[in-house]
Amino acid sequence: MRLALISDIHSNLEALEAVLADLDAQKADKIVCLGDVVGYGSDPIACLEIVERTCDIKLMGNHEFGVLGLLSMDTLNQYARHSMDWTKKQLTDREISIVSEYDLEARCEDACLVHASPYEPDKWHYILSEHEAQAGFEKAEQKLTFFGHTHLPMIFSQSTDGNIRCKAGHSFDPDEESRYLVNVGSVGQPRDNDPRACYVIYDSSEAAVTYHRVTYDLKAAQTKMTLAELPTMLIERLSVGR
Amino acid sequence: MAEIIVKFEDKVIERVVTEKKRISIGRTNENDIVLENRAVSRKHAMIEFNNNAAVIIDNESLNGTFVNNRKISEEVLRNEDTVTIGKYALVYHTETTGGDDDMAGMDGTMVLNTKKQKKLLENDRVERQIVAKYGGSVLVGEENAEFAEYRLDREVTTIGKAKFVHVKAKGFLLSGIQAKIVKENEGYYFVNLGKSGKTRINGEAADRCVLKNGDLLSVGKTTFKFVEGSNA
Repeated sequence: MRLALISDIHSNLEALEAVLADLDAQKADKIVCLGDVVGYGSDPIACLEIVERTCDIKLMGNHEFGVLGLLSMDTLNQYARHSMDWTKKQLTDREISIVSEYDLEARCEDACLVHASPYEPDKWHYILSEHEAQAGFEKAEQKLTFFGHTHLPMIFSQSTDGNIRCKAGHSFDPDEESRYLVNVGSVGQPRDNDPRACYVIYDSSEAAVTYHRVTYDLKAAQTKMTLAELPTMLIERLSVGR
Repeated sequence: MAEIIVKFEDKVIERVVTEKKRISIGRTNENDIVLENRAVSRKHAMIEFNNNAAVIIDNESLNGTFVNNRKISEEVLRNEDTVTIGKYALVYHTETTGGDDDMAGMDGTMVLNTKKQKKLLENDRVERQIVAKYGGSVLVGEENAEFAEYRLDREVTTIGKAKFVHVKAKGFLLSGIQAKIVKENEGYYFVNLGKSGKTRINGEAADRCVLKNGDLLSVGKTTFKFVEGSNA
């Protein structure tokens, strides 16, 4: 089975549409959305509608948790808080009910799916180091876990002796003996110095993970954010992917 | 301390700093450097460190180990040498560089059948023939060169527009003797003698550098490839 994994769309409709167009050629059997469809960008409703229509598995991100009023605002930086308030104002009961159906974790084939970390998924822990990956590995039952949240394509692998290694995200063939935590990067707000939208295909029959980068109409996304009077910092970071 | 930068499609994916005497490279997780791609053998190669010298040894891998685009079985690594294994490039540094770069399976080894690998193998074969023919390092004319090949058997080989230079180069405002290649000890180095900005190595402006196998050297509009002889 070919599984497409997308995450952290963040209301960036242009990036989402470009990724879905690219996915057409990939012949994915299922599309998984790992959360944070909303927040930061200017098109929360359109993005939620598209995800609802196209994705087979939809997971909750901290931004969805936020719009449902389940997240303490203290945990957000000023930009995230501003965009959260703005997003909440846009959404109607219909979108809130869509979001409330999202799961915190899921399983598909031999993979574990989660937004932030398999360890306490509703606490939104960041996995950026081997140490943080350790807790995730302890909780993950599957050999492969796909996650997002940090917007950084990264691969953590744990060998049979327990050693954890960290590498930047790149296409690879999982080793039978190892376990992996794979960060699929971000569709709508990449932060690895590459502004292109990022997603991953996992082919379970071939045992291959491939990263894909897609250019999209950045200017259009930024213009809409300017018109919506969203913070300049959030608009500018899209150009540099940081 | 030696450092190895692992790249995949030009992107840095891992930085390995080691004090070990020997490191192993392969597909499975017991290796020190794990390259998770089916074109990489389980135990593909190893690097041995001995008194500041590093030697890479190919472990009779199916798809081969290349140093600066040349297929090797055993080779001494020099600073900034690039080892190609499958789709990965491993850049060797004798000292750690500090990390300013943008770092933010299946049984059996598959035969790598990519265009890049085929090209590498073909280039390697052609280069070996050239080197065998001349018995040493050679400059191969790539663009706007007068001859197809130039043997680098002198202490100093001059390059420029003048009639008396060893290697003619074309280009606007080029100096009579624009550059030289100096043979020293075991290697060759390149020096720009004329106006700055007229010489490039692998597309980047360079006035002085040690030449590595496969380096593309441009003087004005003329481009050569440096093919290192096996005795160098």
